[in-house]
Amino acid sequence: MMASSYNAKEEDGHPSGASGHGGPGVVKSKKPDNTAFKQQRLPAWQPILTAGTVLPAFFVIGLIFIPIGIGLFVTSNNIKEFEIDYTGVDMDSPCYTCAKNSSWNNTTPCTCSVDFTLEQPFESNVFMYYGLSNFYQNHRRYVKSRDDSQLNGGRSALMEPSKECEPYRKTDGVPIAPCGAIANSLFNDTLELFHIDSNGSRNAIPLVKKGIAWWTDKHVKFRNPGGNNNLTLAFQGTAKPVNWRKPVYELDPSDPENNGFINEDFIVWMRTAALPTFRKLYRIIQKKSSTTPTLPSGKYTLDITYNYPVLSFDGRKRMILSTISWMGGKNPFLGIAYITVGSICFFLGVVLLIIHYKYDTRNNSADIPN
Amino acid sequence: MTWRSPLALMRDALRGQRAREKDLRNLVSNLPYEGLEKAKQPNRHFPSNAIKTTKYTLLLFIPMNLFEQFHRLANIYFVGLAILNFIPVVNAFQPEVALIPICVILSLTALKDAWEDFRRYQSDRKLNNTPCLIYSKEKQFMERRWKDVRVGDFVKVVCNEIVPADLLLLHTSDPNSVCHIETANLDGETNLKQRTVVSGLLFEPESFSGIVVCEKPNNNLNHFKCYEKPDKERAGAGIESLLLRGCTVRNTDHAVGFVVYAHETKSMLNNNGPRYKRSKLERKLNIDVIFCVILLFTMCLVGALPPYLVPDSSGHLDSPSLSGFYMFFTLIILLQILIPISLYVSIELVKIGQIFFVTNDTDLFDEETDSRIQCKALNITEDLGQIEYVFSDKTGTLTENKMVFRRCSIMGTEYPHKENIRLAVLGEPESEEEVIFDQRPQSLQTGWSLDAEDTNPRDTTQRRGSRHRSKVTGIAQSDVAFSSPLETEVIPDKKLLQQISRAESSSGSRKTDPYLDFFLALAICNTVVVSMATAQRRRSDNLRYEAESPDEAALVYAAKAYGFILLARTPDSVTVRLPSGEDLVFKVLDTLTFDSNRKRMSVLVQHPITKEYVLYTKGADYAIMELLGTPYAQHHLDCYAKEGLRTLCVTKKVVSAKVYESWSVDRQRALAAIDNKEELIMDTAVQLETNLSLLATGIEDRLQENVPDTIMALREAGIQVWVLTGDKPETAVNIGYACRLLEEEDLIALVIDGRTLTMALSPDLQERFVDLAKRCRSVLCCRVTPLQKSRVVKVIREKLKVMTLAVDGANDVNMIQAADIGIGISGQEGMQAVMASDFAISRFRHLKKLLLVHGHWCYTRLANMIIYFFYKNVQAYVNLLFWYQFFCGFSGTAMIDYWLMIFFNLFFTSAPPIMFGIMDKDVSAEVLLGVPELYRIGQGAGEYKFSTFWVSILDAFYQSLVCFFIPYLAYQDSDIDIFTFGTPLNTISLFTILLHLSIEIKAWTVVHWVIMLGSVALYFVVTLAYSAICVTCNPPSNPYWILQSQMADPMFYLICLISTVVALLPYTFHVMRNSITPSPIVQARHLDRLDHSEREQWIKEWRSF
Repeated sequence: MMASSYNAKEEDGHPSGASGHGGPGVVKSKKPDNTAFKQQRLPAWQPILTAGTVLPAFFVIGLIFIPIGIGLFVTSNNIKEFEIDYTGVDMDSPCYTCAKNSSWNNTTPCTCSVDFTLEQPFESNVFMYYGLSNFYQNHRRYVKSRDDSQLNGGRSALMEPSKECEPYRKTDGVPIAPCGAIANSLFNDTLELFHIDSNGSRNAIPLVKKGIAWWTDKHVKFRNPGGNNNLTLAFQGTAKPVNWRKPVYELDPSDPENNGFINEDFIVWMRTAALPTFRKLYRIIQKKSSTTPTLPSGKYTLDITYNYPVLSFDGRKRMILSTISWMGGKNPFLGIAYITVGSICFFLGVVLLIIHYKYDTRNNSADIPN
Repeated sequence: MTWRSPLALMRDALRGQRAREKDLRNLVSNLPYEGLEKAKQPNRHFPSNAIKTTKYTLLLFIPMNLFEQFHRLANIYFVGLAILNFIPVVNAFQPEVALIPICVILSLTALKDAWEDFRRYQSDRKLNNTPCLIYSKEKQFMERRWKDVRVGDFVKVVCNEIVPADLLLLHTSDPNSVCHIETANLDGETNLKQRTVVSGLLFEPESFSGIVVCEKPNNNLNHFKCYEKPDKERAGAGIESLLLRGCTVRNTDHAVGFVVYAHETKSMLNNNGPRYKRSKLERKLNIDVIFCVILLFTMCLVGALPPYLVPDSSGHLDSPSLSGFYMFFTLIILLQILIPISLYVSIELVKIGQIFFVTNDTDLFDEETDSRIQCKALNITEDLGQIEYVFSDKTGTLTENKMVFRRCSIMGTEYPHKENIRLAVLGEPESEEEVIFDQRPQSLQTGWSLDAEDTNPRDTTQRRGSRHRSKVTGIAQSDVAFSSPLETEVIPDKKLLQQISRAESSSGSRKTDPYLDFFLALAICNTVVVSMATAQRRRSDNLRYEAESPDEAALVYAAKAYGFILLARTPDSVTVRLPSGEDLVFKVLDTLTFDSNRKRMSVLVQHPITKEYVLYTKGADYAIMELLGTPYAQHHLDCYAKEGLRTLCVTKKVVSAKVYESWSVDRQRALAAIDNKEELIMDTAVQLETNLSLLATGIEDRLQENVPDTIMALREAGIQVWVLTGDKPETAVNIGYACRLLEEEDLIALVIDGRTLTMALSPDLQERFVDLAKRCRSVLCCRVTPLQKSRVVKVIREKLKVMTLAVDGANDVNMIQAADIGIGISGQEGMQAVMASDFAISRFRHLKKLLLVHGHWCYTRLANMIIYFFYKNVQAYVNLLFWYQFFCGFSGTAMIDYWLMIFFNLFFTSAPPIMFGIMDKDVSAEVLLGVPELYRIGQGAGEYKFSTFWVSILDAFYQSLVCFFIPYLAYQDSDIDIFTFGTPLNTISLFTILLHLSIEIKAWTVVHWVIMLGSVALYFVVTLAYSAICVTCNPPSNPYWILQSQMADPMFYLICLISTVVALLPYTFHVMRNSITPSPIVQARHLDRLDHSEREQWIKEWRSF
């Protein structure tokens, strides 16, 4: 550093060619430019945060937040939601035996039925979710145990899955498709919903299984290797995940657009939940006509093919029926929060107004510091 | 190439080592050996003249630079973490991604270093390839390059060329065997210095067979010892025969010298690299970084301690303690950003920016010397805002160090020179020309006819003309050494003039009259160089005096005003023109140069007419008084001192031929000595300087402009100003009053002199002295030595634990280095202070703006920036990630894509705090200058307190809780996935961070708007682009279409809105405090909003309290 400054001086003092030590005027003055930027005099807005200057903001926030809050609260209250736990922890619950016996290796399906009553009719489209609790789908080692290239239809990744998938990468040297812990633990209960008529007959409610995944996931992120035709061939040379009962190309044999990697149940599962208690969209119950509610009030039965073991980690399984609005599912929190914050801001606005009249006028007069 | 055994090579290398290490070096001419291979060269052991200031080489740049960078602990920490990430059981990110931030930081620094090094390389190359003339076998000087110069060469330097290596002067074109050099490149002194040819040596390169014995290279610019051994007699030579590398040869057509040091030249040895000072703020910062480390460890322990068992479906489970152990490291990796990786880089950038603005301030620019403020220490700008004690020298610092001959006392009679007082008082820089102009006819009116040549008026006009020109063209190169009109214009006292003309007429040519002697002494007893009009100076004056110190110039000009004109000076003779027009050539037998121990200088001459040996001595009054037989004119001196004049005494002594002879033998021996040469020379000087008879004089050193105002302002700013001076108490007190350091009011002031100070600083009295000094309003130390000055500074700095600043205009390097900040004033005398200083200014008054405005700004900016940085790193991610761990089984999952996480810190939120640190302006310069009390904010603990740090950390904790739990509650038990949950968190975090900064920013300029809005835009553009493109690009993390889907959801905006509002709600307390008990800064900002005239009036009103 010092050396460079020394050199700089040398340069200054050294006669560079003939022009060295020319007459006065040759040397440029070192005077700094008198520009607003260099002299730090750029025009500036200098707000001072005092009661007087900010109190309008508080009133504005209050006035905007309270209506929003009320709107959110009302919307949330209008959403119909029904939730039923079918884990079968208690002795008297219908799925108790299934729960006790369920394990990944069970080959014989265990079924159980849960009856419930809807007090109020569900008017619009009803979304049917399954909910899991205490399931850490967001655990780091779980989250990364997947191979997106494989799921995107990459042929090389299909045969040589990423290391991240370990220990669900290969079984006996054969690559697993889809590999990894997430895919391996795919939720495999089957839920069916029946409406019990007044005369006691069971009417199956049609459940739509398409349109439950993100459009981008279904069409961009997830792809079958070699297109959707002849999946059996495409998946030749791969093994099914250890815990699966059937290979990936048999997830939905009825619909080639919903089979293999682009099976929507699978895609939904692969979008790992953020929190340990979560729900995932299972089916959609479409509204049929404008006159009759989608789900009229009354008695229902939920038939469960109980495959998925959760008791080992003290988990819970639920089935949720919910209508949704523009703000998603039922959640009164945001509405209440908006109303509360709006009110606080309004209150603070009033406090600031008082402070403003008591102090600010004094400050702006000429006796500032004493 | 002949083969040589390795043993021989080694022996040679060892011999070389020994030759370099020896205290004395034997050098011979290279000429007889020219053309021989290297092993036969006698001087091969000494390094060649090529310089290399670069730190790195092309091949080794990367390893060397990395090695350099890993000296910084933070870098090792981050690399360690990145390596930890490669261990599979603990890794939190993909290992490659985790390397990115540290790589970016390292490569940015490396680029900066490489660029700097390349600049050094370029300037080295330019310097090394500068042409020079070396004597070769062809019996003539051949053009070579600087890098070819070797020890033992004969080098010829022509006029205005720079000396390539340290040369022992053997021959010059000057008939008097002198060579004039300008050392401005070395020490900034622009006056010409004389160097003389080594005596007793004939210059003939071919026959130069002797051995030059010189001392080991050292960095003392003013000292050199060597002798030449032409086998028998010893011819000694000192610094007066050495041409230093980097000097410029002036006034001499050419000079030839023998290279004694190449590469190890005195100037190179003086380049000892930049000083690294650590600012107070940075020391505090490091403590807080340690707190951050503790915080980080605590958080990681919280995450690692609970023995949790999560069935992660991956099969096996580790034992709780082991997995806890792994988890600890995983969390450290995940939460590493808590230790701000970019903080140090940002601080460096901010300081560069701050220095840019400080050096570009036009108010700190001095028109006269065309110099800006120089910031030599790059990393202590913020210390300028925390100063509590200022220690100032007097001469050249408070005063101009431009002397005016004011009074003299001859034979006990006082000659007041009243006209000169007027000149000194009126001599404002702006009105200078006018005063001089007025002066001309006046001086003619007074019947000033003794000056037969009538040089004075002409001189004035020309000077005026040239000055004028220099102003118009804007060049004010300080090639005018100590010859401002003030010094040159002396209006003779009428009474004294009469005395002289009487003496002239009565004594005829027998010059024994004390009046005549006095002026002769003034003209002779100095080291002033008379330079004639020379081409490079472009001046047509007949005479120009170039003096090493301004008082010498003042005295010579005074003598000139009375008709005793110094016409020429060579090492052997002085030519003086008497008022009668007669030229006298005095033979100079010896010059005993000034040194700070003797505090006087003498010239021994032989009078051309009487043939007497006369010793004229000049020096500080107390240095002379002790050599006089009887106290004499003491009352006059006291009276001068009370007026604040610098007093000098001039004496004369006639030496008998016999005494001279014996003395000169001693002298010669002393000069040739190599060991304790100084002492011997001084002894001989002291021997002669006895029994003098006195002639006295007083000269005034004018105060610099605005000194009282500056001192007042510093005082109001809560800064204690101490003046430490070598002057007499009376002079010091007077100056103290003049610059309002002392005031008539009944406030306690402490005036202490050097001897008392020695006692006061003794260990047992130190405490009480400091205690006393603390209570005094002002402290004035007089008659103190440079060493004492530095001790005072050290004692105060250590005992009171305060920030100290030392200002000096001359050579008090000790004091400057003892203080936290050393400021040099590039004044008139030496430039050593400037060289050793951290900041160099050209006027004392610049200190006011430098401290009150730039100090305040730099400090508040940097302090706020650092606090904000800690806040930002704690708030963003670290805590969000930490809270998330409670919901993902402390597994170290991040809810945001790694790349976006890295971008967040590196790009989205890095520019605003840097801009904030460089450009924020809490209060305008006008108000800061008008209300110096605002400076007190930075003193002591300042704004960056321990509590401030923790308040900001708490605030960050609160904000992170809000930013995490509002989205958490809103998305609870929904089908939200990890990244979709993370995106609003990320966005809220960004908005909170930027809005938090927006509230902190005090002045919004265009730049602020652009950077703030740009950061937001960049976030959305980059994130949107990234999530649109990256389908499988960053497995296993997959942000595809996340932000897009979120931005299509109204909930996203609602959540962002409320979280941001709630996060910033605590600022209401801030607002209330601003209204109820506004801090001085807030009050000042209110003041800032008033319009100019109103503000002025307000400040004035408030001042009158």
